[in-house]
Amino acid sequence: MATITRDAKLISRHPPASRAVPFREKISAFVRTTRATSLALLGGILAWEIAGHVLQFSFLPPFSAALNAMWRMTLSGEIPRNIFASLTALFIGYALAVCVGVPLGLVMGRYRKVDYALDSYLTILLASPSILFVPILFSIFGTSRLTQITLVFLYAFIIITVNARSGIKTVDSSHVEMARSFGASERQIFSRILLPGALPMIMAGLRLGMGRGVRAMINGEMLIVLIGMGALLRQYGSRFDAASVYGLLLVVIGIALLCTSTIQWIEQRVTRWTM
Amino acid sequence: MSRILPSTARDPQLVRWGLRALSILFFLIGWEILAYQLDSLLFPSFTETLIALSQLISTPTFWQALWVSHQALLIGFACALLVGTTLGLIMGRWRAAEKVFDPYLNILLATPMSALIPIIILAIGLGLPARALVVFLFAVVVIVVNTRAGLRTLEPSWVEMARAFGANEKQLWWTILIPGALPAMMTGFYLGLGRALTGMIAVELLLIAVGIGRLILDYQGAFEAGFVYATIMFVVAEAVILLNALKYLERKLTPWAGQATIG
Amino acid sequence: MIELRGLEKTFPSQNGDAPTIALAGVDLKIETDEFLCILGPSGCGKTTILKLIAGLIAPDAGTITIDGVAVNAPGPDRAVVFQNFALLPWANVVTNIAFGLELRGMAKTAREAIALDLIRAVGLQGFEHHYPRQLSGGMQQRVGLARALAVNPKILLMDEPFAAVDAQTRRMLQEDLLQLAHTTRKTIIFVTHDMDEAVRLGDRVVLMSPRPGQIREAIAVAIPRPRPVDLDQNPRAIELKTYLWQQLRAMQN
Repeated sequence: MATITRDAKLISRHPPASRAVPFREKISAFVRTTRATSLALLGGILAWEIAGHVLQFSFLPPFSAALNAMWRMTLSGEIPRNIFASLTALFIGYALAVCVGVPLGLVMGRYRKVDYALDSYLTILLASPSILFVPILFSIFGTSRLTQITLVFLYAFIIITVNARSGIKTVDSSHVEMARSFGASERQIFSRILLPGALPMIMAGLRLGMGRGVRAMINGEMLIVLIGMGALLRQYGSRFDAASVYGLLLVVIGIALLCTSTIQWIEQRVTRWTM
Repeated sequence: MSRILPSTARDPQLVRWGLRALSILFFLIGWEILAYQLDSLLFPSFTETLIALSQLISTPTFWQALWVSHQALLIGFACALLVGTTLGLIMGRWRAAEKVFDPYLNILLATPMSALIPIIILAIGLGLPARALVVFLFAVVVIVVNTRAGLRTLEPSWVEMARAFGANEKQLWWTILIPGALPAMMTGFYLGLGRALTGMIAVELLLIAVGIGRLILDYQGAFEAGFVYATIMFVVAEAVILLNALKYLERKLTPWAGQATIG
Repeated sequence: MIELRGLEKTFPSQNGDAPTIALAGVDLKIETDEFLCILGPSGCGKTTILKLIAGLIAPDAGTITIDGVAVNAPGPDRAVVFQNFALLPWANVVTNIAFGLELRGMAKTAREAIALDLIRAVGLQGFEHHYPRQLSGGMQQRVGLARALAVNPKILLMDEPFAAVDAQTRRMLQEDLLQLAHTTRKTIIFVTHDMDEAVRLGDRVVLMSPRPGQIREAIAVAIPRPRPVDLDQNPRAIELKTYLWQQLRAMQN
């Protein structure tokens, strides 16, 4: 073998870095990432408390006043009763939205003719200021809980359908071709290729739908004041009782965050393979 | 990545619009039949609604109400655009800002803005500023989120390339960051406009009875179901037209953007 | 002449993983107007070296000097060609090529004139007003190359520039690059994972190994220029490529 000129010396190797990360390090990493969030939130709460006492604006009671109001309303049973009413409407409406929206979106994504027939409704529903559904539903169902449930359903179902449809439409066609080449039936293509492929977008739609559902719940209850957290908000709002409104908001936002986080958690578990 | 369905351009326009027209026709016929079955004072038929709409358009009070409502929309949305894009760009660019504001952004995203309306009124009264602020709050959060996302999803190689050619911070913003984030920003504007319209109506239905909201409430009180629906139909039509116009603008301004995903 | 002494670079850990030691002590001298190929598997730090010379990142230890002047930021003497082209999708070909000049404040007519010249030089006549999405991968990279040449750098830094195009286009781009190197006088540092490419293009091949990144050896290619088009039959090329492949294979373990 002819000579190969070398003009850099061979440096001895360092041992390869170990890849295993001890559990302790994982915990400290988690603390580090949530530390910023917690600090920011605590800072905000502190600023709120101080501003409330110092500025004495009627619309900005201190944070402690909001907590007090929340506690008071919990003890009196106002919050527990109305949370129950709100959440039943929310969960029923949302469940219906998922059961109707996902299959509908899948079908619309898969079959063009169905898509053409129904997409005008989606466009209109998507573009409309959703609060306008309330007077319409009120004129059909009156003040029954059906109005609330249908409202939640409508708000959530639109985004769930749109996302499911989008999910199907963006599945890689080469995967479908591959399945066909192995003789897959329509049903198999649907369950083994289309559904898993569309899953990330479907889950995103479910998460967004939950957020919209909560808003529907509140909007509906604020406008048709009977029961529910929205009704309470309207009552205390019309008395301009800012502390109670904030207290209620803390609960409502807490519920909203809890619900969407749950869906998000499921979303991450289910779509792990896309990471 | 190729789409699962063959190009829809293959379907003749006739098929597409034919199916859509047929579908809408069925819907309208169904509506008409339902109205006659229910025979309710509160639920008008399609023809009733159309008649009411034609009358509505010829009354000056309707257009006055429309203008009153839209004043809040224009001011509130313009402010939301300004503040939202600025904050979104800052959060997208500087991690420190992101860390501070992000938890609040998530909270605001989960907040039903309608609930804040009484507090806003407590703070600044019952006039146009309050309504504009409501519109602002409804729209601003989704604009910030999308603008920030626009910066986050910028190809890092563009930034690196610009830095390799010696771009300073100002040049980076104008030649890379803003054009690159523009498609996502436009999605934010689109979503924000929808929310702004909702806010415009919501405050009028809930607490400050002026404009379109007042009309709806008045007609409801007078059991003029046709006029209620006609007003709603008008606003819905306006929303559809405005949002489609924005979509068109989006395509013209950012022709290089891929398919927008709804979010 | 570019001199790298004792370069070390570690990237901090993400998500609690162990930090990545990209470079663990690199010494290298690159002669002026030399065509140097840096060859190695992924994770050996070759792109890191390029970014260090470009001034895009700073070393944790060690120095980089160009003709005796320390490097700590991008400068007009260096230009980069990127693997994924990094073209601006909202600008047409002319504007993209003129981008570096625009950043330096050159007037529009002047910089577009330079861009038009370069369009001819890289063979893109007729595509001046096309947008990147309308161009093939090979054409996009020609735009990337023209953009780098437009600022007339003394040193051309190329980060696996032909990795994202098909084999035929890659061959054509390699031949064009050889032509270019022959007619202009520039120091070219070319990062690649393809030993055929390294032998075909370079005056010298620096072989790097990963984990942690360091230079194993530097080998003079010793095939006279201009390179024959049919390099595959050249005995020296065959010998070199075989040796390099053996080394690279051994590193896979």
